[in-house]
Amino acid sequence: MTRVLVVDDDPVIADLVAFRLTRLGLDVSVETDGQAGLAAARQLRPDLVVLDWMMPRMNGLEMCAALRADADPELARTPVLLLTAKAQEPDLERGFAAGATDYIVKPFSPRELATRVTAALPPGSVSS
Amino acid sequence: MTPPAQAAAVGSLVLSGLVVLLLVAVALEHLLRTRRLAREAARRAELTPLVHALLDGESTAELAGAPALLDELVLDLLPQLRGADRSALQAVLLERGVVGRAADQLTARGAARRGRAALLLGNAASAEHTTPLVHLLSDRTAEVRSAAARALGKTGDPAAVGPLLAAVASRQGVPPGVVGMALLDLGTGVLPALRTALDAGRPVTQALAADLIGVHGDPAATDALIALVGDPGRDPDVRRSAAQALGRIGSPVATATLAAALRGSGERPLRGAAAEALGRIGDPAALDPLTAGLRSADADVRGACADALTLFGEPGRLRLAAHAVLCGPSGDAARSALDVLEFTRRPGRHAARA
Repeated sequence: MTRVLVVDDDPVIADLVAFRLTRLGLDVSVETDGQAGLAAARQLRPDLVVLDWMMPRMNGLEMCAALRADADPELARTPVLLLTAKAQEPDLERGFAAGATDYIVKPFSPRELATRVTAALPPGSVSS
Repeated sequence: MTPPAQAAAVGSLVLSGLVVLLLVAVALEHLLRTRRLAREAARRAELTPLVHALLDGESTAELAGAPALLDELVLDLLPQLRGADRSALQAVLLERGVVGRAADQLTARGAARRGRAALLLGNAASAEHTTPLVHLLSDRTAEVRSAAARALGKTGDPAAVGPLLAAVASRQGVPPGVVGMALLDLGTGVLPALRTALDAGRPVTQALAADLIGVHGDPAATDALIALVGDPGRDPDVRRSAAQALGRIGSPVATATLAAALRGSGERPLRGAAAEALGRIGDPAALDPLTAGLRSADADVRGACADALTLFGEPGRLRLAAHAVLCGPSGDAARSALDVLEFTRRPGRHAARA
């Protein structure tokens, strides 16, 4: 089963994203900060990470950069979708510079998020 | 024991008792609060799937009997969402009478109630409440006025643009930053009104309009902005905002006017903004005026010119290097910019064009 890791310190958002992705037939795990997210990524080896930017302990950009620099080449290539309220052009540049695969700005459309997740995963990964 | 000693002992005992009572009361309050929060979290957890199911297009028959906590859940989620999911949640608030009750509260006696109602209506994005929200822009309480401005921004109603711009300049006004964010929330539909505002109203409104046009990068406003920068009779803040906007729009059509503003005797912020804008635009025709600006008597202008030259790649670097060998302020500015250039190893955004 395709595994997705959602890392967001806002439980309202994390629950919603998890719900939406579960409906796609994905196996979803949730963490609430970058440090826990990085540890979970190393343990779970997800097929995709949905990542908030502004979080305690380790922010999303730091976690994304750490993933990209991981010694495990497969983990280092994991698609990362940044989901953030930081909407300025330089923010977007910083997000992609840190290694994000895609970038969604809050307020967001969960339907769009589901579409982008589907597009970032290998064909056949989602059930609908 | 003497009577005074007895009295002191009794007093101390009473005091200790009171302290113990206080500690027990605090502990009890903490316990009750923790239980209350746990109960609320459990009830939220029960209701959350209902909201999610709603977003998934499932039947909403259970919604009618759901407790008021559901409204809070929906209101927490609304600011994070857009598109069809946002519309679905707005419909829930409307159906459950939350929007109607908030509209009634817009005229409440308490400022906190009025402010909360305005914020709720903003989250619920009810364009039909634009008129009462506009009235709140002149509320006697500053927080309510700001709440109304933010709410109007979220309604998406273009009819709010005029009143929002007017609120910046009114006696009991709304801070330009708050109005600016609200106007940005309204999207690109506000651009025609902003272009009109460049030439109307008070300077603070014109400057805000120019700033927002710059953020949108609206090329249709280029000629009007050029006219503002080139008109020495205009307010200095308006001219500065117009110059910054031209830099963001990035059209070389503005180069000559910005170069003239840089060379002119205008106020320092205008000349600095003109230099920065020339750097952003990257027209090679700006290399000479920016290089001349390195010899400005004003340190800020010299710095802005040097920073702008770093954006031109090799041609800019060569101009800076030629000045860096000189003694005096222009050499200092050039050396400082070259240090930054070396540190960041910026290749120059306009290297290809220049």
